[in-house]
Amino acid sequence: MTPAGALLAAALATPLAFVALCLLPGFRRRVFDLLPLAPLPALVAAVAAPGGSLLLAPAPMRLVLALDEPGAMLLGGAALLWAAAGLYARTYMATDPTRIGFAVWWLLTLAGSLGVFIVADMTSFYLMFSLVSLAAYGLVAHEGTPRAESASLIYMALAVLGEAFLLLGFVLLATAGPTGNPLIADAVASLPASPWRDATLALLILGFGLKMGLVPLHVWMPLAHPVAPMPASAVLSGIIVKAGVIGLVRFLPFDQPAADWGTALIVLGLFTAYYGVAIGITQSHPKTVLAYSTVSQMGLVAAIIGAGLELGAAGVSRLAAYYALHHMLVKGALFMGVGVMAATGARHRTLALGVMAVMALSLAGLPLTSGALAKYAAKGPLGDGLAGTLAALSAAGSALLMLHFLRLVAKTAPVRADAVAGWGLRAPWLATAAASLFAGWMLFAPAIGYAPASALAPAALWDATWPLLLGGLLAFGLARSGIGLPKIPEGDVAALAMCALPAVRRIGDGAERLDAALRRWPVAGLALMAIVLILGATLGTAR
Amino acid sequence: MGMATTTGPLLVLAVVVPVIGMLALLVMPFLGIRRPATVALAVVAVGVAIASAIGIDLVRSKEAIVYVVGGWAPPLGLQLRADGLSGVMMAMAALVIAAVALYARPQFDMAEDAPGGRRAFAFWSLLMGLWSALNLVFLGEDLFNLFVALELLTFAAVPLVCLDGKAETIEAALRYLVFALIGSALYLLGTAILYGQYGTLDIGTLHGRASANLATHAAIALMIGGLMAKAALFPLHLWLPPAHAGAPAPASAVLSALVVKAPFFIILRLWFDVLPEPPSEAAARVLALLGAAAILVCSVVALRQRRLKLMIAYSTVAQIGYLFLMFILIEPGVAPWTTIGWTGGMLQLISHALAKAAMFLAAGLIAEALGHDRIADLAGAGRTVPVSVFAFGLAGLSLMGLPPSGGFIAKLLLLNAAILSGAWWVAIVISVGGLLAAAYVARVLKRAMAAPATAIETRAVAREREWPALGLALCAVALGFVPLQPLDMLAIGRGALP
Repeated sequence: MTPAGALLAAALATPLAFVALCLLPGFRRRVFDLLPLAPLPALVAAVAAPGGSLLLAPAPMRLVLALDEPGAMLLGGAALLWAAAGLYARTYMATDPTRIGFAVWWLLTLAGSLGVFIVADMTSFYLMFSLVSLAAYGLVAHEGTPRAESASLIYMALAVLGEAFLLLGFVLLATAGPTGNPLIADAVASLPASPWRDATLALLILGFGLKMGLVPLHVWMPLAHPVAPMPASAVLSGIIVKAGVIGLVRFLPFDQPAADWGTALIVLGLFTAYYGVAIGITQSHPKTVLAYSTVSQMGLVAAIIGAGLELGAAGVSRLAAYYALHHMLVKGALFMGVGVMAATGARHRTLALGVMAVMALSLAGLPLTSGALAKYAAKGPLGDGLAGTLAALSAAGSALLMLHFLRLVAKTAPVRADAVAGWGLRAPWLATAAASLFAGWMLFAPAIGYAPASALAPAALWDATWPLLLGGLLAFGLARSGIGLPKIPEGDVAALAMCALPAVRRIGDGAERLDAALRRWPVAGLALMAIVLILGATLGTAR
Repeated sequence: MGMATTTGPLLVLAVVVPVIGMLALLVMPFLGIRRPATVALAVVAVGVAIASAIGIDLVRSKEAIVYVVGGWAPPLGLQLRADGLSGVMMAMAALVIAAVALYARPQFDMAEDAPGGRRAFAFWSLLMGLWSALNLVFLGEDLFNLFVALELLTFAAVPLVCLDGKAETIEAALRYLVFALIGSALYLLGTAILYGQYGTLDIGTLHGRASANLATHAAIALMIGGLMAKAALFPLHLWLPPAHAGAPAPASAVLSALVVKAPFFIILRLWFDVLPEPPSEAAARVLALLGAAAILVCSVVALRQRRLKLMIAYSTVAQIGYLFLMFILIEPGVAPWTTIGWTGGMLQLISHALAKAAMFLAAGLIAEALGHDRIADLAGAGRTVPVSVFAFGLAGLSLMGLPPSGGFIAKLLLLNAAILSGAWWVAIVISVGGLLAAAYVARVLKRAMAAPATAIETRAVAREREWPALGLALCAVALGFVPLQPLDMLAIGRGALP
């Protein structure tokens, strides 16, 4: 076992070992305070082990860990945010009586979310993806309120639906490709020639798109993210949705141009980017607005990936990971910031609000922030055509949405004027915000291949600035015009889907009635005779 | 014709040792032993050792084990034969019965003259008889011999249903008995036709001799129809839910995990070993359609149940449906046991057996702790019997087909086979069935993990009574580490079928 391989194993094993150790009462009492330590081996691995790999079990099981560049970026960002959010939770949830149970769900989700970035074979990927999807249920449901109950139910239903899409997609992929449990890369290489190429791609995009929140499978996000405790919202919106990003990055065949599916993904992604903004600005809870912003931003990532698929450009995977890393840290900082703001009195708000403004506008590409760098890099694959223009314009939408968010978050100050959020909340928040800037600049050259100075050229700065100005103008105009925005319920189309419930109930009633009828003696006897006759007749027909 | 192998007597022991156990239970008072569980557990230990020895010998020799009864080779005499498939079935049965016996010991450990003593005696005797019958089904090579085994199985299983003597369980048992008897009659009719036609009921002999004609097809249709009734394939499941839900938990576990698998096993033998090749695709489609209907309808009905044990029973009817999908997924022209469809179907059978037994055992303790098994009022179970709720969840993982679990690998292989054979509708049914299973398992878990709204009265359950269910559930999970390819073990001795 190489040192790099050992690090990868430790990254995955540490959170799981924490869960296992919870069987010991002594450890269980302390586990909540130890949460920030669980992702640290992964953080070390992300820095020290790119390119490393480890064979956990040889063929035909073939369980393999491997860390490529996109994986390393996301692994590092995720580990950092998990650690910061774990630190934040120590203060935020210090008096929560059920925090031990929460810690177990947290650790399981953590293990799965880091796992998806480092496993290289299909079965392990599915295992890790299921782990992160299903364990996150515990984070969503934690508060136990009726709202959390219904949100977690919808979350679970959609997560399981996504699993079903993916399983079918994976089976199609594996059936066309090498037998047994192939490496993801080998299976994907066989995809362009597969007889089920289109069905496979559709299922993969459905399954991963659901996790990323692509419309119309985004409904769980604005329901689930606001009801979770603050640190859980930060990791849900920051990290868990990236399982979908890494899925698309790993499973789409970038080696050969696929114009049809690439274009479809661009259209879906851009539509989602605008849709998230349009619904988001009607919302009145800061956390719900942030959730819709995640929907919008993930739409943009999908569009970037779609552009790479259209062109057959494998480099887009690094770019998508870079964009996702930026969003991960910024969105994590924003969610933690909502909690900080709520605990900060009027006298100390200015500075905090300033940090929040930088983070929020980073999502719209504020110059010098990681957002500006990410958007600058995204221009490459999206080009100057219609898609590129729409993507650039969507930054104005993000600016509009984030200004709306800032206005909402500025209003939340019910506490005493001289109240100050403790360092237990402020330190992880500020660290995450700083990390977003630091990681953005550090990784710009290695990930994208541009010199950092190119993002500071006047043209680039102007490209980043005008959407902000436009967004500001829109926000100003909207406030001035006095147009009342409609009140759209959280989860928008989910409310429509609820109208279908009576129909679903009727199916259940029908099945019960059918069962009751079939379980009557004369019917069962008749069925038995009929089956024997039909079997006899069909056995005689030739193959 | 099969020559007896040196380890052949092991097969006789596998059938006879449980019978010796039954006799020992009868004469126990004369030997100064007061508790039937002591005798039964000793027999279980020996039985597990025999099943292990058979398994090890199969793996080592890579050939079927054969025993010729009385030295008379078929078609004149009888033979017992264990190939890889039988070996795996016997190991599965031994594992489930061992866990059930450990679980049932505190419940059925009273001396014969103590209150409930007759019931304890009956439980252990019936369990022994049932085990012997199961092993005979897995080893028998003669269709009439198999009929006897099936009857023995039914007569051991039916009283288990009404062990508590309540009116409604007696009614459920009678229902079960009558429908099983109809199934037996059809099976017997089929064997009579085959015997009249070919003058033998030895599967090995029929394999070469049976030709595709009306008599053969009529006989096989009658036999498969009868076996379906005994396996409770939808829509012939009228007897299963009340019987499996009404029996005491350890009995339910054995009934749902093992007893319904025996008739299915014989259907497999008829289909692949007796029917002249190639089996008709239209007939395979009939079986698959019924299986699909079972999955869809009974999963929805399971979702609507108010009682935990009824929900688990309906889940059994749904899961049996998956087994019948197999026939359409095995492409003609190749040896079936080398296909992924075969391995997928068998893994489904085994992982369902382990998971379902674990579920019934866990449900029994949940009901004991709470005093009821109403799903709506399960809140608090997670605190009272945490290990059982955890075992229920792990077993549920396998039913839902989520990794890592045997159910996941089975589902993956079946999906794979469905796509390879172009049966898209089967792939969709498997996927939808998984979603419905997730819904009915999650519904129970959600309630069980919740904190009760008001203080509830619970009865303490000794922690060690929760282990057998957990052990079985962990075995179902461990099956998830079987590689995704045709399993060599299942092919041992199949190719050499005379």
